[in-house]
Formats: sequence, C-alpha cells, structure tokens
Amino acid sequence: MIEIAQLLVFGVVLGGIIALGAVGVSLLFGILRFAHFAHGDMMTLGAYIAFFFAATLGLPLYFAFPIAIVATIAIAVAIDQVLYRRLRRTAPVILLFSSFGMALILRSVVEMIFGPDTVVYDNAIRLPWTVAGLRIKPDHVVILAGTALLVAALHLFLRHTRTGKAMRAMADDPDLARVSGINTERVIVWTWVIGGGLAAAAGMFLALDTRLVPLMGWHILLPVFAAAILGGIGNPYGAILGGLAIGIATELSTLILPPVYKPAVAFLVIVAMLIWRPTGLFAGR
Amino acid sequence: MSLLRATGIHAGYGGADILRGAELEVAANEIAVIVGPNGAGKSTLMKAVFGLAAVHEGSITFDGSAITNHAPDRLVRGGLSYVPQERNVFASLTVSENLDMGAFTRRDDTTADRERIFSIFPDLADKRRQPAGQLSGGQRQMVAIGRALMVRPRLLMLDEPTAGLSPKFVDQIFERIAAIRDEGVAVLMVEQNARRALHAADRGFVLVNGQTRFADTGDALLRNREVAEAFLGGAGP
Amino acid sequence: MELPGLLSFLVFFVTFAGLYGVFALGLNVQWGISGQFNLGVHAFWAVGAYTSAILTTEPGGAHLGGFGLPMIAGLAAAMILCALLAVLVGLITVNLRTDYLAIATIGIAEVVRLVLKNEAWLTNGVRGIPGIPRPFAELGGDAPALVFLAIVALALGLVYAALEILRRSPWGRVQRALREDEAAAGAAGKNVTGFRLQSFVLGAAIMGLGGGLYAHFFAFISPEAFDPLITTFVVWVMLIAGGSGNNLGAVVGAFVIWGIWSGSGFLTELLPIEFQTRAGSLRILLIGILLQIILLTRPEGLIPEETAPRRKSGGG
Repeated sequence: MIEIAQLLVFGVVLGGIIALGAVGVSLLFGILRFAHFAHGDMMTLGAYIAFFFAATLGLPLYFAFPIAIVATIAIAVAIDQVLYRRLRRTAPVILLFSSFGMALILRSVVEMIFGPDTVVYDNAIRLPWTVAGLRIKPDHVVILAGTALLVAALHLFLRHTRTGKAMRAMADDPDLARVSGINTERVIVWTWVIGGGLAAAAGMFLALDTRLVPLMGWHILLPVFAAAILGGIGNPYGAILGGLAIGIATELSTLILPPVYKPAVAFLVIVAMLIWRPTGLFAGR
Repeated sequence: MSLLRATGIHAGYGGADILRGAELEVAANEIAVIVGPNGAGKSTLMKAVFGLAAVHEGSITFDGSAITNHAPDRLVRGGLSYVPQERNVFASLTVSENLDMGAFTRRDDTTADRERIFSIFPDLADKRRQPAGQLSGGQRQMVAIGRALMVRPRLLMLDEPTAGLSPKFVDQIFERIAAIRDEGVAVLMVEQNARRALHAADRGFVLVNGQTRFADTGDALLRNREVAEAFLGGAGP
Repeated sequence: MELPGLLSFLVFFVTFAGLYGVFALGLNVQWGISGQFNLGVHAFWAVGAYTSAILTTEPGGAHLGGFGLPMIAGLAAAMILCALLAVLVGLITVNLRTDYLAIATIGIAEVVRLVLKNEAWLTNGVRGIPGIPRPFAELGGDAPALVFLAIVALALGLVYAALEILRRSPWGRVQRALREDEAAAGAAGKNVTGFRLQSFVLGAAIMGLGGGLYAHFFAFISPEAFDPLITTFVVWVMLIAGGSGNNLGAVVGAFVIWGIWSGSGFLTELLPIEFQTRAGSLRILLIGILLQIILLTRPEGLIPEETAPRRKSGGG
C-alpha cells in the first residue's frame, strides 16, 4: 500500500511536468493546427539555459529559472516569426516536418554547446523528507508548488484576460475567431509565449527531478503528446488532467511492467485514445 | 444613399469562379436579402464581401471606400459584422464570453452593449455562464447574432440565420432582425426561406448561377410572376 | 584485390547511398502513394536488420539465433516480418490523420526500440549482434565490397523497377485516385482502408529489405545503430529534398543528401581538434538547417511530381 502511495507521489510530480508541456502542445495544436514536434527539445533548451546561468555563471536557481523562461519565450517567438509564420499557408505536413527538423536543430545546438554528457544543476545532496512513511524530495515540493502556481496563473490568464479568452476562442474555432475580428497573429504570438514559457518550466523541473542530458526533452515528447491527446486537443485544462493521468499511470505501471518499459505506457495511452476516442476524454476539438 | 455596394463581382475559392457578375446594394437602415436556388452563390457573395472568398473582378465599397479583398479583422473594425451559417459560436466559451469575443476589437467598456444584447434576446439572459455548445440551435443562433452585434456594426451580415430552426425560433429571429434594423443597423441576409425573407425585407436580390438576375424591393419581387414561379416555388411559409 | 583509397571510399559511398535509396523508395510507397506520414522508419529498419541477423549468424551467442541460413533467406524473412509488423501497426494507424499518424508511428518505433534494447534473450540487448555474414567474404581484399555494391545495386534496381511497374498498373491508378479525392473513391466502392494498408505494408517490406542489407553490410548491429536521427530523419530529408511522391526523386534525394552528409563529415574533420567531439551535432545542425531552407524555398524537392497531391492532411 505504501508502495502505491510512493509511486503516486512520483507520478504526480512527473505528471505535473508532463502537464506543463502538454498545455503548450495542446494550445499550439488547437490554434496553429499542427503537432509541434520541437516541444520536447524546447523543454531541453529551457533546462540548459537555466543550467548556463546557474552552473556556469553561478547564479542561484531562483534567478536562473525566470531568466531561462524569458529566454526560451524569446527564442520560441523568434522561431515562429522567422520560420513557421512563412510556412503557415502551406500544407500542414510541411509545418509538422519543419518542427521535427527544428527539434533536431535545438538539440544539436544544445549538444554542441554543452556536450553530450549528463549534467546537473548542482551537486548538493538534498536528503528526502519522510512524511507519513513516504519519501518526498525537497525538489518534488518545488516542482509541485511551481506547477501549481503556473497552472493557476494560466487559468487566470485564460479566464480573465482579453488575450486569454481570444486564445481559447481561437483554439475552439480559428475561422470564427478571424471573422469576429480577433487579431489572429497577435494571439499566435501569445500562444508561443505561453507554450515556450511553460515548456521551459517543464524542462527545468524535469532537470531538477532527474538530470540534464541533450535527449531529455525528446524522451518526454511522447508522454506530452499523449497527455494532450488524452485531454482533447485545444483544451488546456484537459491537457493538465491528461498530464497527471499519464504521469501516474507511468509510475504505477512499474507494479506490473519492468521499469524499462515505462515509456511504453504513454504510447499505449495514445493508441487507446486514437482507436477509441480521438477527440479526447474531455470532448476537446 | 448606399452603405454597401458590390458591382460586377467575379469571385471564387480558387478554381472556377462561382460568382460571375453578381451585384448588390444595401442602404443604411434597411434589410436586404439575397435569395436564389441552391448553388447560385448566395453564401459566396456574402463571403466575397467579407474577404473570405477571393474577388478577381469587380469592386465592393462600404460607405464610399473600397473594401474589396480586405481582411476580416479590418472590416470588423470598419463597421461590418458577419455571422457564418455553421459553426458560428465558440462552443467551449460561455455565452458571455462569446459576446466578449464579438467585442474584441473594442477597447472601451462593453458592459452596456452586453446588457443590450440580453434585452434583444431575453432567452439568453439566464444562460450567460453556460457554454454556448450546450444551448439549443435557436439559442446558439441568438448568441451568434449577439456576438456580431457587440462591435456596434453599421451593417450586419447573416448567412442563413434560420437554417434548421424550429418555426418558433424562425419567427423570433425575424422579429429580432427587424428590431435590429429599427435600431439603426443595416442587415444583409442570405436566406433559404425566400418567401418569408422577401416579406420581411426592404430590398431583395435574386441570385442565379452567380449573377444577380433580379433586384427590387421585397414586395415587388414577391409580386413578380417570374420570380415567384421560378424561385419561390409553390410551397414555403 | 585491393582498390586505391578513393575508389574504396567511393564504393562505400555508393553502396550506402544505394541502401538509403532502398529506404527512401519504401518510404515513398507509404508517403508518396498513399500519404501516410511514417515517422517510425527506424522500427522497420531495425526489425529487418535484426531478423536477417538472427537467422544468418552462426550459433554461439547468448541470444536467439544460430540458424546459419543464407543471406537470401535472411532478407526474405526480414521483408516478411516487417510486412507482418506493418499489418499490426497499420490496423491502428491507417485511417489516422497525419499528425496523429506521425505520433503513433513514433510511439510504435519507441516500443520496438525498447524491446530490442531490453529483450536480450532475443537480440543480445545493447551488446548487439556481431558476425553477421557478408557474402563472398572469403574472397578477401576489396572484392566483397564490390560484390555487396553489386547486390545493393541489384536490389535498388529491382525495387525501383517493381515500383514503377506498380505505378502504371491498375493498382497504382486506384491509389492515385484515392489520393486525389478520397471521398469520391470511397463512394465509388473502393476499399480505402484496404488500399492504404497495402501501401503501408509494401513500403514496410521494402524497408525490411533495406534493414536486412544494412545488417550484412556492417556485419554488426546494436540498438544504437537505429537512432531515429540517422535513420528516420535522414531518409525523410532525402525524400523531401529529392521530390516526395516520385521514385526517381527518392533515389536522387538519397544520393544527394548522403553526399552532403559525407561532405559535411569531411568538412568537420578539417576543424580544430577541440571541435571534433561536437562534430556530429554540427552535422545534424547543418542538415536540419538545410531542411528548413528546402521547406521554405522548394518543398516539392529536386524532382517534383507531375501533379501534386491534394491530400487531406492533418489540421483540417
């Protein structure tokens, strides 16, 4: 029983990380109508930018994190304006493939600058706390608190700001949004701001929970897509729940599967959703 | 004094032009309807005005200035508003939020306008927090029209506003449209319900094969033998 | 016999390019003929390679194998197994829209890689399978390389010819009609799912052939060799650069991109020694940027198709 509870703790932490990535993917999928294959590597980018400021420049992590978020946002918007914007009028497949290529570009830049080996933010050993028989690392608390904060901020943005509502409207129906006079290009830039920012946060939390390695984002891309599909494309709230579900399912799967097959769980969820309910559990688009 | 004027329009969606010399004219404070057989290009004409279909020849002016092939958000800011036939509400947004989206281009306080919409469509007043996707067809149509009114347009364009609605709602919609006209907003409608529409209209245009075949007041068209036989059929309300 | 260094390299280059050509042709069957965006090429590549390896290696490993069958049997089995895998995969993916299909195929490929890496009883895990026989290895010198070049050329030629024949056949015409207007073809009574599945399976079988040849070419395989970067991604770039949707474009793209890749290898060798370790990433970066340039300026590739498909891709 305790083992299950422990796995649940791990699952919620992992789920939070996946959720942050999935929200971005879901919004991008819903508004820009393509699967952003570079999202995982955008998470990697955010994590490594933070690493640069923290480990290389010696800034404390709570400075490095916001800087990395801003930097990743800037890069995400730049990529869109320079590249994806020109490809918007072409077939969606081209955008998909361009993002696949972008994933490789981001990853190779990271590897060129930081090398292929594993690194960590700092080498301090932080002993886990024991709470009610469960082991909880201090990092876990940071991740959960950070995720909750970001989700709350996102909620406020989507529900109570003009741009946030316009974003939901565009995710719901891009054509109607245009017809209503919504400035679609502005909303698209904001989508990259949200997507890029949350991806950076997710990457940093992932690095905090595990470590930094150039392929880290690519390896979590499949669970991120799974969560977005599970929650319904274009539905950011569904993506959050989907992320938690995938995270928990992945950790609980170790009760019956060898741990090396954890990544397969996300894939199984994808297959199940695509066969049974492609619009997502929460009736997204 | 015409508010909207389209002359010699050749337009389509890429491929052969659907409109081949269509025309229309809408004055301020009037209801104009476009009727005609299926495939005549009625929706296309409206889309051509709103920048959703490519106009290859001809000109469209609004209040004297050219608006041919202008982008939708520019037209909205210029005083035009458009309600598509299908998928005309944001299903996952609440009624209130749908109206907010209509007012997106406005920077001022829109609360008064929102309340006005709820007085035009009292059925919606107690549903403001409900997602629009959960409403009935008729109520959704009201939300769609309300959304378009939020920008205080001078011309409201409706594509088949009564399609698929129950008779009770059809009556209500026509009533509301008349009220909207009386408040000073010109209305341009495409309607399948030709007889009913021409009855309510100040002016009508009969579109056939991409061209405007008849243009006259609503009553005159109803009395026109040729129009009645060929395009209004014997049946219809 | 021994060949001078340059000639020896050329033989290697042309052989490997030809091998990639086989993969590109296989992918073109899936993408060019029926518009299926398969991002899991490396799964079929690996399955083909491992099948042939397991069947043709001598006994002695701690894993399944030791059947010592001739290469031709290995290749045939590789194609059949890939076809079977494609049937299983296709049943899930065949009617998905493009984005979802891409995601699903990546997922499947991931699972395949996990299995290959972890089921050591089958594949010897990360240690890989050594000693895969090369035909005529006993001839010594560079002769086996020339023989293998001939084998790859033969395989490429046969696949190309077969696909060209198929293209002009009634089957090919139905596929083209399906691509132009799926709804109409479906209404006309054509079994859309069946045709798409056939094209998916055929493409996979060709990839299996390529995988098997790959195994015999390098005589050693391990899960690392099937990294999606140097497999799926590169083959896709080849297809897009050469002209997706036509067979000649696929082969031309393979040679051109392989040429650029090899060329970049030479250039990075000229770099100062500190940068050598990062050379691999630099080359990937260059290919990635090249891809974006192609997509921006000439997405139809070097050899465009006569009529571009109006396929209903994802995002609709």
